[in-house]
Amino acid sequence: MTHYDPEKGPLIDMKGVTKEYNPRKGLFGGRQKKVLALNAIDLSIQKGEIFGLVGQSGSGKTTAGRLLVKLEAPTRGKIRLKGELVNDLYGDALKTFRSKVQMIFQDPYQSLNPHLSIAETILEPLVVQGVEDRDSRREKVIQTLETVGLLPGESFYDRYPHQLSGGQRQRVAIARAIVLEPEFVVADEPTSMLDATIAIQLFKLITHIRDTFGMTFLFITHNLAAAKYLCDRVAVIHEGHIVEVNTAEKIIKSPEHPYTKKLIEVQPGFRYSRR
Amino acid sequence: MALLSVKDLSIGYETRNGMVKAVDNISFDLGKGRPMGFVGESGCGKTTIGMTLMGLLPDNARILGGRIAFDGRDLVTLTEDQWRSVRGKDIAMIFQAAMNALNPVYRVDDQIKEAIVTHQPDISDEELDQRIMELFDLVEIPGDRIHNYPHEYSGGMKQRVIIAMALACRPQLIIADEPTTALDVIVQDQILKGLKAIQRRLETGLIFISHDIAVVASVCEDICVMYGGQIVEMGTKHEVFSCPRHPYTRTLLGSYLSLDNDGEVSIPDMRESPDLKMESGSCRFSPNCKACSNVCRDGIPKWIDISSTHKALCCDEGIIGKFHDAL
Repeated sequence: MTHYDPEKGPLIDMKGVTKEYNPRKGLFGGRQKKVLALNAIDLSIQKGEIFGLVGQSGSGKTTAGRLLVKLEAPTRGKIRLKGELVNDLYGDALKTFRSKVQMIFQDPYQSLNPHLSIAETILEPLVVQGVEDRDSRREKVIQTLETVGLLPGESFYDRYPHQLSGGQRQRVAIARAIVLEPEFVVADEPTSMLDATIAIQLFKLITHIRDTFGMTFLFITHNLAAAKYLCDRVAVIHEGHIVEVNTAEKIIKSPEHPYTKKLIEVQPGFRYSRR
Repeated sequence: MALLSVKDLSIGYETRNGMVKAVDNISFDLGKGRPMGFVGESGCGKTTIGMTLMGLLPDNARILGGRIAFDGRDLVTLTEDQWRSVRGKDIAMIFQAAMNALNPVYRVDDQIKEAIVTHQPDISDEELDQRIMELFDLVEIPGDRIHNYPHEYSGGMKQRVIIAMALACRPQLIIADEPTTALDVIVQDQILKGLKAIQRRLETGLIFISHDIAVVASVCEDICVMYGGQIVEMGTKHEVFSCPRHPYTRTLLGSYLSLDNDGEVSIPDMRESPDLKMESGSCRFSPNCKACSNVCRDGIPKWIDISSTHKALCCDEGIIGKFHDAL
């Protein structure tokens, strides 16, 4: 079943978004060319979708994710969340935006602060966004820990990241991202550091969160098979251009762009029939 | 005769909380010129095996028992000086992070030359240049890039240089530890195809270590599946991937996503990571095993033969047999 409905409007969308990076001048003033990470891309994601963004390293997929959560600003183009322009947000409006849009990073060994306990990590967004009452904060953290499958929640509350495995850490990172019940979460290769048996459990968790809270996800990956498994729609990105957008099924079955075909061809696989 | 024969090898790490057995009583034989794959999750001991074969175990590691016969020598008993003449010459390694394995301040050809000169101090300059040309040719790097610095190379090219470096002294055995993990799929595909072609052409023995079963399947003929420091199943590629017998192998294969199987992926419920302090010889998969029977509770797992090349480690012949019936 797909959560994509062509009739519905977008939750978040990018229009003609371009991102250039200007390399700093070297010590000897060497002039380097501008790097065009994204070239006038259009992207619109609907509420409740898990949207895949697939491409190889350097294709601009992470840049797109960072722009959507406003970790960086586009050089040109417009980003809208529910029709409201995101580009020029500041102050209180930006803070509200931050509570609605969250990100999960690739490497759970680096994205968690080793000095903060699990509770402190997950509490931080609640404190920043002004959830006042201590007891309700604690309850919210435990509840979120249990949502992400760290059971029982109390037993993880006072632990530190080094006491957890890679898969558990990534669950904590997910808990931190969803504790404010955001509308939109960018997951940037959340499982590329993890084993297959762990990764598939996290995919199940992401689907569960989407189904329970109606959250919308952008799933950034280089793994087409993972995108096919998890996503409703997939966009293939190549050298800063979006070359193809379609339902996951159609992208794999009848790819149109030569780059998509190439990408499908090189996916490692093995013949294994369960019969 | 086997090129490499490992017998009852156990390796432990001394930690503050006592001895952790990372490799528990493993045995395998690698034929001359054969590619063999080790697949398993992080912490299953596959890298420890690779490091042992290179004599590069960290200080807190202890070889607790067993033999490693290679070319008429027992590698377990070698001193550091003796290792120096084996490492890089007879056994070479392709490391995981190619980006960091090259020295940024030396030209790439000089770095490969260093490997050759170390083992052949009296080689002539002409012969050395000749050899470098051959090696770059083999890994398909254009001749005019030979004198570049590593930062002028892409990730895939750096990994090719690392492969060329491993081949520099024409070793009989190459150990490749996750050689493509840091690369993206398109480059990974090129490197794997290249590595496989070179391995076939030079008839080098290859131990290929990866957590990605599809990657292992694309390069290797023989497969060892590891869990918690034990080899739990071994056989040819075809045997292990098309009729897996050990419950763990089935879990691992069943959770792997490929483009054409997403309808039948099963989600494992593996909460426990393997207990590496468990008594030696006992089944380390049992806390997570769905098939575990009464026989398993206090049994000692033993190798159950399925064919002359295919076997699985389990307490209960019924479990291994049951899958046979199901197939």
